[in-house]
Amino acid sequence: MALDAIARYIDPEPQQAEGPRGMQDIVTRAARLMALLGGLVLCALVALTCISVLGRGLNGLAHGTVLTDLAPGLARWLAAHTGPVTGDYELIEAGIAFAIFAFLPICQLKGGHATVDIFTSRLPPRANRALAAMWEGVLALVIIVIGWQLFMGLTDKLDNGQTTFLLQMPLWWAYGASFAAAGVAGLVGICSAAMRMRAALGGRPLP
Amino acid sequence: MSLMALGLWSFPLLLALIFLRAPIGAAMFGVGFVGLWLATDSPTMALNLLKGESYATFSSYSLSIIPMFLLMGQFAALSGMSGALFRAADGWLGHRKGGVAMASVGACAGFGAICGSSLATAATMGRVALPELRRCGYSGGFATATLAAGGTLGILIPPSVILVIYAILTEQNIASLFLAAFVPGILAALGYMITIAIYVRVNPTSAGAKDRVPYARRMRALAEIWPVVAVFALVVGGIYAGWFTPTEGAAVGVACTGALAFVRGTMTWALLQDAIMTTAVSTAMIFFIILGAKLYNSFLALSQMPQEVSLWVVGQGFAPMTVLILILMFYLVMGCLMDSLSMILLTIPIFWPVISVLDFGLIGLIDMQAARLAEGISDGVAMAPDLLAQAQAKLAQGVALGREEFRDLGLRPVTEAMHADFNRTLTAIWFGILVLIVVEVGLITPPVGMNLFIINAMDKTTPITATWRAVMWFVGSDIIRVAILVAFPGITLFLLR
Repeated sequence: MALDAIARYIDPEPQQAEGPRGMQDIVTRAARLMALLGGLVLCALVALTCISVLGRGLNGLAHGTVLTDLAPGLARWLAAHTGPVTGDYELIEAGIAFAIFAFLPICQLKGGHATVDIFTSRLPPRANRALAAMWEGVLALVIIVIGWQLFMGLTDKLDNGQTTFLLQMPLWWAYGASFAAAGVAGLVGICSAAMRMRAALGGRPLP
Repeated sequence: MSLMALGLWSFPLLLALIFLRAPIGAAMFGVGFVGLWLATDSPTMALNLLKGESYATFSSYSLSIIPMFLLMGQFAALSGMSGALFRAADGWLGHRKGGVAMASVGACAGFGAICGSSLATAATMGRVALPELRRCGYSGGFATATLAAGGTLGILIPPSVILVIYAILTEQNIASLFLAAFVPGILAALGYMITIAIYVRVNPTSAGAKDRVPYARRMRALAEIWPVVAVFALVVGGIYAGWFTPTEGAAVGVACTGALAFVRGTMTWALLQDAIMTTAVSTAMIFFIILGAKLYNSFLALSQMPQEVSLWVVGQGFAPMTVLILILMFYLVMGCLMDSLSMILLTIPIFWPVISVLDFGLIGLIDMQAARLAEGISDGVAMAPDLLAQAQAKLAQGVALGREEFRDLGLRPVTEAMHADFNRTLTAIWFGILVLIVVEVGLITPPVGMNLFIINAMDKTTPITATWRAVMWFVGSDIIRVAILVAFPGITLFLLR
């Protein structure tokens, strides 16, 4: 809802006024890298799903009467060699969890979280900066709580050795990958909150 | 404080935090967390819930459709199909009075068929159609308002991200909701075109004229949009026909639109990165709110607030229509302040239990039983002629058949419970479409309609107030459409019966 969110929609990469330096630079790079990683995982899941759908379709064709009548050899070959990818649902669930945790840092860094700013827009800029800094801090806290409990979940899964049903993939793998991404999100959250606090205290405009 | 009071007070508190500019997901998370803490006198329950809940939410198979539809929209925007759609619509409509604006709406509707997000539709079509509208002498406010309104078709016409979330919240079938959204979506496009026709007659200076395009060129332009038709048919048709699950359909859609952009040479590594970044930001925003909503809803469920409220509403004996209209009005007002997705996640868990216990009489028990008899006849079930005649006579008198009578006929019975269940499903779908429309109106209502900002930012010469004035015509068209759909549920539901 924020205006900068709209500006970003039109121009996906607005130039920052001061140019990224130091901590801000590292944080920006980390967030972009995580988002890119998540995006690549998402694309991989898309490919996996398409292969699975195609395999299931061809296999269905091989068992249909049309193909078994027309080309029994091809039908037998297809029936034996095609089919849905085993455990595709499980891979999607594990991959998408990582991707979404990996998307969190960039969202926070770009102020992408949904807010309602119509009432606060009438406040003086100083008050607005203070509010922004406070909520950024709350946001970081929430993400840290999420990450902390995800870690507790991870230790649970490590202890009980739970695996997925079809692939027998240990669940802690997916939890671990998600936790790594959540860790970056937590760090970015802290840095982002710190930058806003500094801006609020120093009276400088928002980065 | 009792649990119930805690639940009741949490909602105004949450709204207050949100209006103080709290990130909506964090506000729901915080209120839910503290609520659970107060309700159980210890933070253990909330923390234990979180151990698995964040992973469970983010790894949900049914929710994984959301990033895929978002990425599909981004790829569709890259594919250059927006230009082809606009040229085709412009060829057929452009020479009419207000024709270029009508063509923009038509192209938006076409783009909405491969894109599930309003913002992406508005932004993409705006880039293509706005320069042409201005070149043909359309006034600034009228042009921007048309595109902002056209953008809402992105989400009204399936696929639609909001419908997916509604389907998951109310445990309805995504394919049925997509199907039900189709006719109202087309009506929306037609309504906007009628609005344009009226607007240019009331304000003759607001639109310029344009020459007719020869039929050969129109046909050629129309032929260029076949990939859009193909992708829509494959994705939405495939989901509906049961070839694949909705998530798989979305993945196929991403692959198709991605391949399209790649083949047409419009995809570069830099643009792919941008597409991923935009998808990442929107996805994270949505899932963060979903997670916050989960926590808040766990607290609400513990407090029993939604059930109590729905019992209270039923106990007061309000007419179902009154309740429905009040809820829709609430959405219209809130839509002026808040984005549609947050609104749905915030309110559906409270409003849906209320609506679900009200009987709108969308289908009668007698009608369902008659349909079962007709089905039996057309399937050639061997039924004793005298029993069949007896049953038909009973139904004609408006008397419901019993379980035994169906058994004697050799048919599966249609019971009270089945009727109630189906009636509830129809109510859910009808309500979902109505809510979808009213929350989308929020995208074009001043002062914070997102589509207005996006389009207005593209045309530096038009003041936002000019856009606001012109867009009220389209808001009017939306409200008339909602009224029609409320009065005649059959328009939404006839494809499902």
